[in-house]
Amino acid sequence: MKSLKFLFSFAFLILLLNSCEKDDDEIDQEKPKINLEIDGAFPVNCDTLYFGETFTFKVLFSDNAELGSYSIDVHHNFDHHTHTTEVNECDLEEIKDPVNPYVSIVDYDIPEGKTSYETSLEITIPSGDENGEFDRGDYHFFISLTDKEGWSTQKGLSIKMMDR
Amino acid sequence: MNKAFVLLLCTNILYSLSLGQSQFAIRGVVVDENSKALPGATVFLEPVNKGTITDEAGKFEFRKLDKGRYNIKITFVGYAPISDSIWLDDAAVVYNAQLSVSPVYLEEVVVKDNYKEMRKKETALNVEIVDDAYVRQNLGGSLMKSLDRLPGVTTLDIGSGHSKPVIRGLSFNRVVVVENSIKHEAQQWGADHGLEVDQYAIDRIEVIKGPASLMYGSDAIGGVIDLKNRKLPEVNSLGGTIDLTGKTNNDFLGTSLALQGRKNWFFASIRATLLDYGDYKVPTDSVDIYSYRAALHKNHLRNTAGEEQNLHAFFGVIQKKIQSKFYVSNVTSKSGFFANAHGLEPRSVDTDLHDKSSRDIHYPYQTVSHFKLINTSYYQWDDRLQLELDLGGQRNFRQEWSQYVSHGYMPAVFPDTLSFNPDLERQFEKYVYTGNLKLSYELNDKANLKAGVSSEYQDNRIDGRGFIIPAYQQLTIGGYAFVSHAFSKRSELQFGVRYDYGHIHTEAYRDWFSSPVTLTDGDTSAAYLQRAGVINRSFSNVSWSIGYNYSLEKWLVNANVGKSFRMPIAKELAANGVNYHRFSYEVGNSELSPEVSYQFDLGVTYGSGKLSIGLSPFFNYFPNYIYLNPSSDHDRLYGNGNQVYYYTQSKVMRYGGELHFQYQLIKSIQLEIVGEYIYSKQLSGEKKGYTLPFSPPPSAIFSIRYQKQKIRFIETPYLFVDYKATAAQNNIVPPEEPTDGYQVINTGLGGTISLFHQQINISLQVQNLFNTKYFNHTSYYRLINVPEPGRNFIVNVSIPFSTKQTKNNNKQ
Repeated sequence: MKSLKFLFSFAFLILLLNSCEKDDDEIDQEKPKINLEIDGAFPVNCDTLYFGETFTFKVLFSDNAELGSYSIDVHHNFDHHTHTTEVNECDLEEIKDPVNPYVSIVDYDIPEGKTSYETSLEITIPSGDENGEFDRGDYHFFISLTDKEGWSTQKGLSIKMMDR
Repeated sequence: MNKAFVLLLCTNILYSLSLGQSQFAIRGVVVDENSKALPGATVFLEPVNKGTITDEAGKFEFRKLDKGRYNIKITFVGYAPISDSIWLDDAAVVYNAQLSVSPVYLEEVVVKDNYKEMRKKETALNVEIVDDAYVRQNLGGSLMKSLDRLPGVTTLDIGSGHSKPVIRGLSFNRVVVVENSIKHEAQQWGADHGLEVDQYAIDRIEVIKGPASLMYGSDAIGGVIDLKNRKLPEVNSLGGTIDLTGKTNNDFLGTSLALQGRKNWFFASIRATLLDYGDYKVPTDSVDIYSYRAALHKNHLRNTAGEEQNLHAFFGVIQKKIQSKFYVSNVTSKSGFFANAHGLEPRSVDTDLHDKSSRDIHYPYQTVSHFKLINTSYYQWDDRLQLELDLGGQRNFRQEWSQYVSHGYMPAVFPDTLSFNPDLERQFEKYVYTGNLKLSYELNDKANLKAGVSSEYQDNRIDGRGFIIPAYQQLTIGGYAFVSHAFSKRSELQFGVRYDYGHIHTEAYRDWFSSPVTLTDGDTSAAYLQRAGVINRSFSNVSWSIGYNYSLEKWLVNANVGKSFRMPIAKELAANGVNYHRFSYEVGNSELSPEVSYQFDLGVTYGSGKLSIGLSPFFNYFPNYIYLNPSSDHDRLYGNGNQVYYYTQSKVMRYGGELHFQYQLIKSIQLEIVGEYIYSKQLSGEKKGYTLPFSPPPSAIFSIRYQKQKIRFIETPYLFVDYKATAAQNNIVPPEEPTDGYQVINTGLGGTISLFHQQINISLQVQNLFNTKYFNHTSYYRLINVPEPGRNFIVNVSIPFSTKQTKNNNKQ
């Protein structure tokens, strides 16, 4: 019986040890946020971008600790393969095969030490490349944001890319 | 008979003489071939019809007998029974018996305690052993899922049919799976990789918890799952088994047919298995894949159906001094991935197509074919020396298919000039050749030596449109020596040392399409990017282990301390591509050093009649754990701007343990508690202070089990209820989310019935009895908020047949 007691107290000790082990280090467990609700945010869901023109990318990024970087990816959605993260769905054109779709994948730095950052980025969309004019129609505008700790958030927007 | 046995015999006679002459009694000791005590053997005395079971020292006793002639029968599962007659005219007669292993395993029900206990006494590491009956009673979606209930064992799941073993929180290439003495090699680094193992073809599973690199080589840093196909047919017999399995959650149908025969020294068996299942059901209408919400049709997790076809042949010769066995098997499967959450980003799917039937498999899906040819030969040189040679060849062929989607700057329209199918996402073809030589030598009465050499060569080829790991060739070779020395019957010291050498050569890979790159002068130009360069790395390491076992009558204490190591794998050195399950971009590091682990293990077991308690704490330290670190970077040349994860190394500390409690309430009712706890923390690097990914939360199973020898026409009926309580996991690391605690009830019942002299084993199970919606922190689909499967009724019927039962009709 004595030995049994020993075993129990041993088990108890281990349990106690574990329950006391609260992490003293502050660990960041919060994801960064992408805010499209600010005044003049662009583009938002169902917006249209125009070939051959420049637009200003304006959204508000925030994080509890420190922002990392963001990336913008624009690719066609002619096959309706993707949907938006926003509540409202947009009207899509008929499904079609791509011929020369526009594609752009660019990552951008955020100045160090920021917990909040409003972008004001000028992006020019060419109207074509050496293969001719880009396809008009439904596109997907994908924003990915990270913080310094490696947490990430994504927004996927349905947009149209047209001629003015 | 050796000295110890004779000594034992003498003491018994003395003991019996010293007793008073008032009553007649029979007593004795039952031992095995090695003169080791056999606890749990059944001793039956006729005509008084008295029965008893040998105690831990193998002793039995019948008292208050009358003078006369008795028949004694001694039986133990797995051993040839002994039947003898005794003339009792003295006050006490000593009857000692030595049982020898019988090759008759055909209708064996449970390989219980004895082997387990012997194995536990033999090793200072913590071992769990289960047999096929256990697997049948706890049947999960895959073999590994069926082991989930064992203390210290969890699974890393993706979908219903793919589970990776996790031992004390470590998985992937940190756990070695051995099937029939040969290390199972596939693409185990991949999240979507299950195990190409037929769960019907396995009849004993040993789980070694803790670093076992010493005996099993480089990857066994976290533990070992040793799968054995060990049952041999009876001498001069023909027989077989049919298994039928059904599950309601994913409309699973499975069958396996085995035929076996033996003519004296030659035996052969064949097995065919067919499985087919539909999409599995989860108790939710929709799931949130990161920020995307996807509606589910009738609770079905879209496109998670699958099928499997397996063939095995097992044959060989059994002689007294030589045994040679051949295993040939081919395991083929096709299974779908959850269609909304595979690829570069969460996808909309053609719901008309996908939701038409829950049984069809559309894109994205994977096909895997795993072929094995194994020979294990065993030679008994003399009483002291045994040799074993294992040779194996394997081919793993895996294809992942999905609709062509241009990654980064891949052309939107697939050119028809390329050699591969545009829908072939990835292909891996891996050839593995293994050779092991082991010897076991008895140095003297007290000391034993085990030594061996193991070697393996891998050749991996790749194809398909997407790149993740390069083609590579890898050679590993290692030698070890392991000495155990018994100071007494009670205490034993073990010491082992191992040297390993490994070399890996990875091939260069260049994109098949061009991407725009910025030149130094600021202009952009199109280039075929090199994703992987040639890497040549050699590694060597000395590992060691010291263990000590001490057994007192009711106590068994073991302690082990050791150093293990693991070579970085091709993925860790040279990955450069998208992980389609979490939409991340993974980058290897060619400079990684081999991972080293120091671990201290303790095991304390107390067992007395009705009660048994075991506690197995461990402490583990990695000076350079290889960790896939989610960074703040984004990729711009592949995929669609995904977050980049880099392989890095950090100091990691882990500790935890398992608790096992068993109490025999009354003869037929057993209470059981199984608990496990793991804590891990990164002590350096970018994620200093964080835990490791997929850390299992603390959990406990409270179980009550009713079991009898016989109720009316049902033999060995059982009924159990498992109540599993799992704590919340708030100790997380990007990209995880905290997971709430949950409680689930699983229950099962079964037994054996005889219909027209035909034995039928039936086991029924209900998993997640109350259809509880809960999340499993160690599921890959947890990241996309897919709850665990809903209520599931499982039926397994196993019908063994053999010529012995129909003696009159068939001539042998």
